[in-house]
Amino acid sequence: MANETTQQPPAANPNEPTANAKKYAWALPPAKTAILSQRVERVDGPAKVSGTARYTYDIHRPGMLWARAVRSPHPHAKIVDIDLSAAKKAPGVRAVLAWRDPGAEVMYQGDVVAAVAADSEDHARDAARLVNVTYETLPFSVREATSMDAATPKIFPNGNTRPGQTAEAGDLAAGFKAAAHIVEATYDTQVITHVCLESHGAVCEWNGDKLTAWVSTQGVHATRQQLAGALKIPEANVRVICEYMGGGFGSKVSADAAVVIPARLALMTGTPVKLMLDRKEEHLDSGNRPSAFSKIRAGVTADGKCVAFDAQTWGTGGAGQGAQFPLPYIYQFANRKRSHLDVYINAGNQRPMRAPGHPQGCFATEVLMDELADLVKMEPIEFRLKNLPPTAPDAMWAEYYKIGAKKFGWNKRHATGDGGKGHLKKGMGVSACQWGGGGRAGNAHIDIFADGSVVVKCGTQDLGTGTRTVVGGVAADTLGIPLSMVKAEIGDTLLPFAGVSGGSTATAGITPAIRIAAGRAKDAFLARVGAATGIDPAKLTIANGRVQGGGKSLSWKAACKHLGQEPISIDNAWEPGLSSVNTSGVQFAEVTVDTDTGIVKVDRVLAIQDCGLVINKLLAESQVYGGVISSINFALFEDRILDRRTGQMVNPNMEHYLLASMQDIPPVEVMLMNMPERGVIGIGEPPTVPTASAIANAVRNATGVTIRSLPLHPHRVLAALEAHKAGRNA
Amino acid sequence: MAQHDDESAVSRRDFFKSVGVGGLATGVLAATEAAPQAAPGAVGPGAVPVRLTINGRPYNLHIEPRVTLLDAVRDHALLTGNKRVCDRGTCGACTMIVDGHTVYACSTLAIETVGKKIRTVDGLAKDGQLHKVQEAFCDRDAMMCGFCTPGFVMATVALLEKFPSPTPTQIRHELNGNVCRCGTFNRVLEAAHQAAGVQHG
Repeated sequence: MANETTQQPPAANPNEPTANAKKYAWALPPAKTAILSQRVERVDGPAKVSGTARYTYDIHRPGMLWARAVRSPHPHAKIVDIDLSAAKKAPGVRAVLAWRDPGAEVMYQGDVVAAVAADSEDHARDAARLVNVTYETLPFSVREATSMDAATPKIFPNGNTRPGQTAEAGDLAAGFKAAAHIVEATYDTQVITHVCLESHGAVCEWNGDKLTAWVSTQGVHATRQQLAGALKIPEANVRVICEYMGGGFGSKVSADAAVVIPARLALMTGTPVKLMLDRKEEHLDSGNRPSAFSKIRAGVTADGKCVAFDAQTWGTGGAGQGAQFPLPYIYQFANRKRSHLDVYINAGNQRPMRAPGHPQGCFATEVLMDELADLVKMEPIEFRLKNLPPTAPDAMWAEYYKIGAKKFGWNKRHATGDGGKGHLKKGMGVSACQWGGGGRAGNAHIDIFADGSVVVKCGTQDLGTGTRTVVGGVAADTLGIPLSMVKAEIGDTLLPFAGVSGGSTATAGITPAIRIAAGRAKDAFLARVGAATGIDPAKLTIANGRVQGGGKSLSWKAACKHLGQEPISIDNAWEPGLSSVNTSGVQFAEVTVDTDTGIVKVDRVLAIQDCGLVINKLLAESQVYGGVISSINFALFEDRILDRRTGQMVNPNMEHYLLASMQDIPPVEVMLMNMPERGVIGIGEPPTVPTASAIANAVRNATGVTIRSLPLHPHRVLAALEAHKAGRNA
Repeated sequence: MAQHDDESAVSRRDFFKSVGVGGLATGVLAATEAAPQAAPGAVGPGAVPVRLTINGRPYNLHIEPRVTLLDAVRDHALLTGNKRVCDRGTCGACTMIVDGHTVYACSTLAIETVGKKIRTVDGLAKDGQLHKVQEAFCDRDAMMCGFCTPGFVMATVALLEKFPSPTPTQIRHELNGNVCRCGTFNRVLEAAHQAAGVQHG
């Protein structure tokens, strides 16, 4: 009853700013902030550069065993028998478990079948080889086209494909009738894998019926819930810790086999168990970005208005997951129809990967836009401006295209294919992006102690975006004390609940709670100091770590002494009014294409991106650099290659699965558009969306050849140049 | 009816483990496969005493000859700063400096480094004072998740020891053996220039 009476009635509008949000609103310019929107170094930088930051991979527990999974070598097979006897007798082995039962089907190379635990990692590897699994191999498909072929036998229990809904708007027939030019083409992007440098895995340790799990995860609380469910134990008995993590990019949002296996082996042996996947396992069984194929017929009027868009799309998310992506992307086609087909193949399942769906939809749409622009003989930015949605705070593309064109020197762009006489052709391209972001799941707790120490606790985790610095920074800025005086604790389910760090939702999910908790803590603190000193609290302010007012100036430490035995201790949840959703950005790329070798070199990139209120300029810029480079990888290098005869991944490593290194990195200019009045939104995903499309358009501009397929590997570029030449000569 | 043979192919690492041990051992087979050859000077496949000098300190380890330098340092000396990522000498996260040269510690056997000076990221800061390379990485935010960072830091330290006043080309070349997935390259370049005291253009 008492609890019920203190509950706030639900707001009529869930986005209506609360009284707290108004009271502790972010400071808007021209107000100066000490930390917010400034370039503040990350607080855990010294730990990361000196090797003292402890990742899950670095956890060593007394007596700890190493686990190793036994995985299917076949793309599709029925398990006839699992013989664990030889493995059990191998040197150092302490436990062996069958993960699947005879009769079950493995659906892809790398599907888990069994696991072992031994006293060293090498002994665990040795023993895993001795698990003798008898398989009955079954028909498989590792190509979208094979799975879509009616002649292919049924491989997946619910069929080899699954039709999605058809989306329609306007009058397609009328649209095509109004069109002066039509493009008909198919665009496709490849499957890529996350390649988190720290692989998936966990260290699990039981103490009676309580489990402590160090997990490389994007969501400690989500992992706790799923792990407890998988083990059928109370959530309250599970503690998940992730102090540092070596990348996730969306692939570490669930408690998968890499987490449940060590928990079960630890229970069997009564000893802590560590399991970290190796690089091959990472490629095979820890997520990927689905492929995307778009067969498009699009029409444009003589004066450059996009009027018709008809698309059949398909893609694969592996052996049971979908492959949806937004299309058309951003630009408006008044009359449109799009139908989609999810295609299953015998390969590891997709997981969300940085801006799920967007890079794929962006690529098909943006390349098409350049083709349409050429048909109506319009300059590509002018053409885009004509077909963008109306400008709004969350739709700033028109503005950014204009700013970027000036900054990038877009007026020096030559006409498509007019790249000069030599074999080195230069070209420029553009592309836009959007992302929702936002977030509503975050709680924070703040303590101010009499000795002057301050701790802010939030059960979020740091993907590498700098979340620990964000948590401490918002609290310190709100309190008016230096960041060095605040300890930020994250990455532990003992801390207040926060959602997963995914979808660019972490920062917007946690900062409102921290802002309000710190604001309330500051008010409570000043009231106590006022009461103790006889100064009216309304006259007291805190700045640069000093408490001033009523003719007094106290150091933070001296002021805190007035707290006596009882610290200030405040909890707050996320409240609406300090965060928002929806971001926009555009990017420009210049490339050089060597028409003798087919090698594409990115010369420079300009990225214009907003994310609402910039919490920390240094960290936000790093997110943009990172997004751009990921997208360069998508455009030019990465490709998961499956052998159609054996169903094996051909390049499950880091020397044949290509990623950029220093020689491939162009200068990148980042323009962050700070919009503090919109509140916090998030920036992890959007900057990785448009670079690949801008590069593809730059290659088209350089060579005059449209390549509608990623990655732009040299052989593909050469083949396209050859085909173009042959076509022209024919 | 196929036997499970996921790893039957000889990986590069297994190859190193079995034959890449110089004059110290010959014919070391996988432990599960049987008896050691009694060749002269052969050691293993069981654990043997191995004395390593890491960051100026001696470590007396008891490890199998197939154990890599990286695993010896991380799992036996418990210095976990350098990371294992590709495990095949491609990505550079395990970069250590051995007798003044950078090595991929994941593809170097520990017993090959007996008597050599091994330097890891764990020993770079002296008396709590960060090395100028480490400071530059912090100043420039030349890190995100931080998992490649120890390797990049060591590669940059080695670069500056080799070329105290490097050219931009030398910087790019010497840091070309490391891979970052988050995308810190631009800022690693800035940090390397700052640490070298040369202008980044």
